[in-house]
Formats: sequence, structure tokens, C-alpha cells
Amino acid sequence: MYGWHLKLLRVNLTTKKITTEDVDPKIARDYLGGRGWAIHYLYKEMDPMADALSPENMLIFATGPLTATPAPTGNRYMVITKSPLTGALAHSNSGGEFPTWMKRTGFDMYIFEGKSPEPVYLFVNEDQIELRPAAHLWGKDTHETTDILKGETSQEARVACIGPAGENLALMAAIMNDKHRAAARSGVGAVMGSKNLKAVVAMGNKNPALHNPEGMRNLSVSTSKEVGVDVKKGSNMRIYGTSYVPQVTNTLGILPTRNFLQGTFEHVDKIDGDALKNQYLIRHTPCYRCPLSCGRLTEVPDGPYKGKGEGPEYETISSLGTGCGVSNLAALVKANYLCNEYGMDTITTGMTIAAAMEMYEKGYISEEIIGMPLKFGDHDAMIAMIKLMAYNEGFGKELAQGSYRLAEKYGHPEIAVTTRKQEFPGYDPRGSQGMGLLYATSNKGASHMEGDVAYEEVFGVPVKENPLTTEGKPELVRHFENSFALMDSSGLCVFVAIRYAFNKDRMILPLRVTEMMNLTTGANYTPEEVMIAADRVYTLERMFLMKAGSTEDTLPHRMLHEPLPDGPAKGMVVELDKMLPEFYKLRGWDEKGVPTKEKLIELGLPV
Amino acid sequence: MMIRVKLIANYREALPPEAKNGVVELDVPNGTTVYDAISRFDIPLDDTSVIVLNGLTVDMNTPLVEGDMVTAFSAIAGG
Repeated sequence: MYGWHLKLLRVNLTTKKITTEDVDPKIARDYLGGRGWAIHYLYKEMDPMADALSPENMLIFATGPLTATPAPTGNRYMVITKSPLTGALAHSNSGGEFPTWMKRTGFDMYIFEGKSPEPVYLFVNEDQIELRPAAHLWGKDTHETTDILKGETSQEARVACIGPAGENLALMAAIMNDKHRAAARSGVGAVMGSKNLKAVVAMGNKNPALHNPEGMRNLSVSTSKEVGVDVKKGSNMRIYGTSYVPQVTNTLGILPTRNFLQGTFEHVDKIDGDALKNQYLIRHTPCYRCPLSCGRLTEVPDGPYKGKGEGPEYETISSLGTGCGVSNLAALVKANYLCNEYGMDTITTGMTIAAAMEMYEKGYISEEIIGMPLKFGDHDAMIAMIKLMAYNEGFGKELAQGSYRLAEKYGHPEIAVTTRKQEFPGYDPRGSQGMGLLYATSNKGASHMEGDVAYEEVFGVPVKENPLTTEGKPELVRHFENSFALMDSSGLCVFVAIRYAFNKDRMILPLRVTEMMNLTTGANYTPEEVMIAADRVYTLERMFLMKAGSTEDTLPHRMLHEPLPDGPAKGMVVELDKMLPEFYKLRGWDEKGVPTKEKLIELGLPV
Repeated sequence: MMIRVKLIANYREALPPEAKNGVVELDVPNGTTVYDAISRFDIPLDDTSVIVLNGLTVDMNTPLVEGDMVTAFSAIAGG
């Protein structure tokens, strides 16, 4: 077989037993790779009701068939586990270099089970696979950890690790790789911390064999050239990364501002892509084999927020920035650096602080409890809260549980803008109705990465869709969810894949993705078959969610009952009732959102 | 009548020096459409361009009224 190694590494952290297993080629084909393989194993082997921070939870790192191939942006991996934040499934995606290095160890997937009695890290260099002591790394941030581990293993190795937030089981803890890239959402870093697994270090030379190396090379080169044409024209992504987006969402009135109390931010010019470019940008920093190169090295050269790192990206600007009403760019950049160093998801971190700010301003939480005033726009207080969250100290202990638990504890659950207890990303769904349906139904709680129809509603990629209407959105959301399941399973990055590896119809079709998968694996898929496989993946994830007991598809109070007060979407709420029944019907789910027996049989899933 | 045009990110290079924060005010004749307004600027109107009127998705032939804001940006991926 090609593309896939068809090998997985299983590490029992309790017993320290390490085994390798072959993957059934039929399972490989039917579940594509990456996210698809992972849910197959998770569903088969784990009790969905298990406590996410207990040894019974499984933590899976999974690459796709296109990871470590010449495919442009074939550099991704997924982290799949049960989320301690949501109690639902977590699947978080990251790029950089680590995923490619991981695949080159000769394994497509690592499965971690149990819990080590003491801190350890996993070192994999092809056949040399060792759990090593990590007590000397405990307490170190992600940058220090990465430097130390490369020093004591090899500069050729690549590192994925947790920082203090993961060690301290903060429910927004991320797993950072290559220092600046994050499998961020849903608290995957806390699961790693609960297992006393500080880091994974990977190196090797086992590139996957390709079914048709020349064909794959040619297709990859021609795809990269297409990207190159847009980059040469002056693509925003190369120059700004996603930091150009605040101006876009502000224009549409869907820029989360002050915990979604508003959809526009009056100081957006102070923290947008141009401000960042003009003040702190050093150069762009691509992930491995990426012609787009949206990562950017930045530096705040002096002052109280002095620091150097990557980003911030849009989702950080819309959470720690506008979400908290913060207009001090240097402080925002510093907050992003701190989240990366402590190993934290900036979305949940920022929006949890934003919820606390609203509760403080409304008098629901006192200054005495917080330890300081916490008004919207107070960037120093925001930075102080990030540190307290990472180290589980003072009021940070409560913030580290996320906004839902915080708001509920103080008797005001309506303040939390979450679904399945996970904070919303940077698109206010009152002004982007398809995103509202997506957040409500997402198997992993609110997430744009579950099926980002903002591509069409906001960015016109590949075609512009009216964000204020509900017509046709159920079909679009369903299709994008499956398309994202495909991308996450393949090993490609969404940023390049949607425009360059799908066709340019409203209902994007994975024509080039399929071609790349076939040239790589020889599996001879049709585009229809890969979309059915993606539907299989998504539906099985839904079954995991059902068995985990998180079944209600709804939206928080603010989205359904508090109309946007400003901007082009003024007066709107999410019209979820207009979309949900049709969505269920299109998915083959019953009126409660449970996949029907017929649907499961159709997809070849266990009934 | 007076309208405003806002260009975002890389499109800002096409703005005249008097533009502030990416926004320029224009005096245009009655009957000017969204397309007419945006065509005054040297930006590539291709399949990466998005143009909105007062933040809303509209037909490019929509006639403008006093005080309107036309915004344009280029996108090949989201955030």
C-alpha cells in the first residue's frame, strides 16, 4: 500500500508498554486517514462516557495520507480525544513541521492510553521508540521545553508539547508544536497533561511511498504554481496572514466585540493587519511545503510588552482583542505570545476573560473575588488573567474552567457565548446565519473548523453567499462539514485546499483532493466516494457525541434572543428553527439529531 | 453626492494619499453604481474580490445613494 504506512504506534502510559500495529487496508480506505482513522479507533475502543481527564481517555495523534507527501500544505496532523471542556469529541488540527516529521517516523498515528505515574516524554526515531523521564521539563513553557528536547535528542527532531496550562489541567490548554503552532481547541493539552505526557519528539526518514510519484509531483507543482500566481498578485494571506480579517468582519458587523455585546469595534484600525504589519511584522514563516506562507514572525521590540514570536492571527485578535474590548496592539501581541508559551487556546482564553469582564461590569463578580478590576479594554488585567489561568492560581482557577462553568457558577449562564460549553470563534452568527447552524450542530462545540461556511458567507471563497439569509444554508453547512472532515482526514490545510483542491462551485467538490489521494495511495477513489467516506467520518463522530451524552443542538441565549445592536446585521438573531429540521433531514438524522438506523447502514457503520 | 469607498489590506495600495484608515470620500454623480465606484480604483476585480455595500451583499449594478460606503477586499482563504 502507498501513501499510508498502515502502521500505528500504541503507547500505554500506565504500563509503559509500546506496541506497533498494522492498520487494516479496508479501514484505511473507508476512513481516509487522520481524523477519520482516529474516530474509528476511538469509537471502537473507548467508553464515550469516560472522564476526559481520566486514564480511560485515549489521546490520538493522527496524520493523513497526504501528510509528508509533495502535496502543497500536506503538513497537517490531528489531535483526537474526548474533550474535558465540552465532554464531547475533540479534534484539533495543526501544521508546521512536526506532523511531517511524525509521519516520517514510519507511523501514521500514535495512540496514547492510560496515565504515566510520573512525567514522561515519547521519543520516536523510526524503530527507536522510548518513553523517557520528563521531570526536568515539568513547569517549563513550550519554548523552553522544545529547546531542551531538541538539545538532548537532535536538532533534526521536531517537538509537540504542553506548557504549564496543560500540566495544570486548564480546560483551554493546547498542544503546541514547533513552538508556535497549536492543536488548540477543546482542551486537548489538558488531556495530555492528565496523562503526565509532557512532549512527543519525532524524527526519521521514512517518507511514505507514493503510488504514482511523478504524477503526484507534477500535480503538486502545478497546484503550487496556481497559489503562486495569487501570492504574486499580492495575496493578503502572504502579507497579513489572517490579520486582515478584522476589517472584513467589522465591515459586515460580525466582529465579536465585548463578549458579543456588539458586532463592530470602534478601535479596529488600531489592531488590524495594517497596524500589525507596520509596527511589528518581521517576515513570513511558512509551514512545511506551503506555497501560501501565512505564518508571520513578529516582534514587540521594547516596552512592557516586549517579546518575539508568531502571530497573532484573526481568531486571537477577535478574542483577546475585540472580544475583550482591547485596542492596545502591543499588549494583544504579547498576550498571544504568552498563550503560545503557556500552551493555551487563544479563543477560549480570550472569550472566557471577555465573559468575566462582562460579569464584572454588570456586578455579577466582584473585584474582591477577581483580585483586581476587570473592565473591558483593560489590557493589563487581561494579561494578568492569562498568567493566573495557566498556573491555576487565584481567580485563574475559575477562568481555567472556561466561560460556561464560570457564568453558571455565578448564576448568569446567559453570559457564556458557547455551544457544548466551547467558546465561539470570530464570526458572530447573528450576521452569518450558516455559521449559526454550524455552531449549534457541531459535534465538537462551537468551532469554525468544523465546516467553515464563512468561506462563502464572508470571504466569497469560492463564491459569495448572502450571510444574512437562511435559505440553502442547511445544505451548505452539511456539505462544508463533510468537506472539512475530508480535509482533516487527508492531511491538507484548509487554507490552500478549499480554493485550490476543490472546484469553484458553491457546493465545492474535492476533484483535486481526490486526484492527490489517488496518486498518493492508489486507492482509486471517485470524488463521490471520498465525500461518502467523509460523511461516514462525520456521522461516526456524531454517534460518539450521542453516546457521550451531549445531544442538544442549540445556541446560547444571546444568539437566539438578543438582537445585534449595531452594524449591517443590526436587529438580527440566529434563525435556528428555520434551518435545523431541514439540516437533520439532509443528514439522515431523526428530528432529535440522532443518525437513523438506515443512515448508519447506508454508510457501513455499526448499528 | 458624497459616498465613501473603503479598501482593505492589499487593496489599500490603490488609494489616494488623502485616504484615512483605508477610507476615501468621493463626490460622484447620481446614478453611480457599486461597480462604477469601485472601478475608479486600480484593483484587480477577479474571483478573489469581494465587494459589499454598507456591509451587505448586493448586486454590482445597485445604484448608490448619499452616504453609502462601498468596501472591497481580496480573499483566497478565511480566518
